[in-house]
Amino acid sequence: MADVSTIAETPGTATSAVAGTPRRRRRSARLSPLLVAFVLVPFAVESIWVFWPALQGFWFSLTRWDGQTPPEFIGVDNYVELAGDATFRGALLNTVIWLVLFGGLSVVGGFGMALLLQRERRGVGFYRAALFTPVVFSLVVTALVWRVFYQPDGLADQILRTVGLEHLIRPWLADPKTALYAVILPALWRQIGYVMVLFLAGLKAIDPALQEAARMDGANGWQRLWHVTVPQLKGVNAVVLSVIVIDSLRSFDIVWSLTKGGPYHSSELLSTYMYSAAFQSLRLGYASAIAVVIFVLALAVILGYLVRAFREEA
Amino acid sequence: MTDFDPGRRRFLGHLGLAGLGALGAGSLLSACASSASGPAKSGGSGAVTIQSNLSSPQAKTAIEKLVENFNKLGKGTASVNTIASETFRTQLPTYLTSANPPDLYTWYAGSVANDYASKGLLLDVSDVWQGLGEYPQSLKTLSTDASGKQVFVPMTNYWWGFFYRKSNFAKWGVQEPKTWADFLALCETLKGKGVPPIGIGLGDTPWVASAWFDYLNIRINGAPFHRELLAGKQRFDDPKVKAVLTRWREVLPYFDPKGKAYPFQEATTALLAGKTGMFLIGTFFADAAPKDALGDLDFFRFPIIDQAVPVAEEAPTDGFFASAKSANPAGTKELLKYFASVEAQEEYVKSSSGIVLPVHPKAKAADSPLVAKGKAMLDSAAELTQFFNRDSSDALQPTADTALTKFMDKPDQIDAILREWQASAEKVFKG
Repeated sequence: MADVSTIAETPGTATSAVAGTPRRRRRSARLSPLLVAFVLVPFAVESIWVFWPALQGFWFSLTRWDGQTPPEFIGVDNYVELAGDATFRGALLNTVIWLVLFGGLSVVGGFGMALLLQRERRGVGFYRAALFTPVVFSLVVTALVWRVFYQPDGLADQILRTVGLEHLIRPWLADPKTALYAVILPALWRQIGYVMVLFLAGLKAIDPALQEAARMDGANGWQRLWHVTVPQLKGVNAVVLSVIVIDSLRSFDIVWSLTKGGPYHSSELLSTYMYSAAFQSLRLGYASAIAVVIFVLALAVILGYLVRAFREEA
Repeated sequence: MTDFDPGRRRFLGHLGLAGLGALGAGSLLSACASSASGPAKSGGSGAVTIQSNLSSPQAKTAIEKLVENFNKLGKGTASVNTIASETFRTQLPTYLTSANPPDLYTWYAGSVANDYASKGLLLDVSDVWQGLGEYPQSLKTLSTDASGKQVFVPMTNYWWGFFYRKSNFAKWGVQEPKTWADFLALCETLKGKGVPPIGIGLGDTPWVASAWFDYLNIRINGAPFHRELLAGKQRFDDPKVKAVLTRWREVLPYFDPKGKAYPFQEATTALLAGKTGMFLIGTFFADAAPKDALGDLDFFRFPIIDQAVPVAEEAPTDGFFASAKSANPAGTKELLKYFASVEAQEEYVKSSSGIVLPVHPKAKAADSPLVAKGKAMLDSAAELTQFFNRDSSDALQPTADTALTKFMDKPDQIDAILREWQASAEKVFKG
């Protein structure tokens, strides 16, 4: 039976293949020039503005370059130096702290806010808008607002004084113990609203019938959240994770505007260290090596997640 | 905003408008995104283009006025392109190395100019200097590169000192100190009256601390050692440098504790409001001072520590250098000759309204007792230094900021801090 069908089918397949090939060729030849343009033009633009500079970055990371004289090839010396650079290690640690605190808290906060604000009640639009407002501000403007908040005798100090905690008062942005956390706070203030919107969109897409069914089966609120809502958000989670990781690793403007990585590197992130190595110390080769590290980190975290997500689906 | 440069123009460029700040940072970021976009020259008709970082309203008006006057002379035409100072600083190497660079640039004399000159990027302006016979030798030396040719033409300078309010000193019953012992006594008196004696502003402007380092070093070890140190010919972990920080440590308890958190602009406000006693700063701080406070301001020179060391003062000199690739070197030099002239400098000092001194010995400075006193101080100095970054490089400045702010926080770690400083300085010198 199987044999017969194979034999019977083989000529047919051959015929169809023979007949099909020219047809397919003709179809590809008829591929609309507009379509080709849509693919090739962005690819060309990307190549010039994204891929080529990125590849150049890898090359520069193997050179010593001050931006004025031609780069000089020095092999992996920059990476060797990175390994022994205490400031780089501090920046790496701070970036990990940033990733965990900024990333973790903005997911928790954003998800919590989305759950709170998902149901249509009176005035809920106002709260959503209020939480989203910080996203609209440029981070540099945000930094100016928070700088006023943190300044000596500023609002932060006044609040502490009012509640009788004046012994805690310190130069928030100038104290190496608090500088990093004092910068994470404004970044979170902004990111929570953004993540909330992503989750709100995800929550809206969940079929209410699922919740209904779970409720009929006697699931309590916690079980419905954990076993119905969260699994349904898998697609959104991937987006949120990518956004968080990328935003963490590229966080620069808020740190630069508030502390510039100071005092003495205590709030230095990889991104700020890269910038100061490149444009203050004029060591563009070394800065490129830091950039490569940032790239690898981002890729590792995101690829790790995607691989796991695909494996689960398969 | 990045701000580790003591140039007054830098500060003026920042006068603190939120929107301006946002714009500045925006252009800064886009500046790193798009490299090597050399500005196109305006017209091919041989007009000299000036790339200027004089972005404060008064200074911008002043330089535009000068160019307008120059254009009337009929020796050529010029146009000014004003750039936000932070963008200017980060983009300057790009301007100079681009294929079609602007002709003339506002910038600083000293090692910064020499550094560009050593890469062959600057126009030889020795023939302009042949007409500047009246200029003192010190300025000529300052404008000369390692190969012996002049690459810079100065226009103005200013001075640093301990500024205070006369009315406050009278109220507290204290006098200007002359020696280090007087200075310590003054600090003690002010502290006894409940006033933080020494104001400083390191939040956002950590380079202000370098003034203390510079002055203590030129008072204790002398200007030649200071220059060698900043040029990488001496080591930061040298016992002589340790002596500088040890001396500084004696006055650390008298610093305003809030100074760490706010920039020097707010330290200025604190000084004017009588919340601090005195403030070691350059004259550019007064640009932000209200007019009525200006008459009440006075200063004294950094106290003498060792009588045997020739007195040196910080006098950062601003002026111009030109691109080696200028398409119109003759016109550029004509313009430089004009900027070096008495009438141009007097005009500039008049319209810029800041406390700056013209460098031409015959040009009249602004008519005020404060300016006269500052000029007299510089004239009597045996040696002039520029400022930390100008005597070394912008690349070395962040190493000083890190080391000095850390020292002020943790003065018991002097040795470790100086070792770290030497290590990071070596990286900068190595490139």
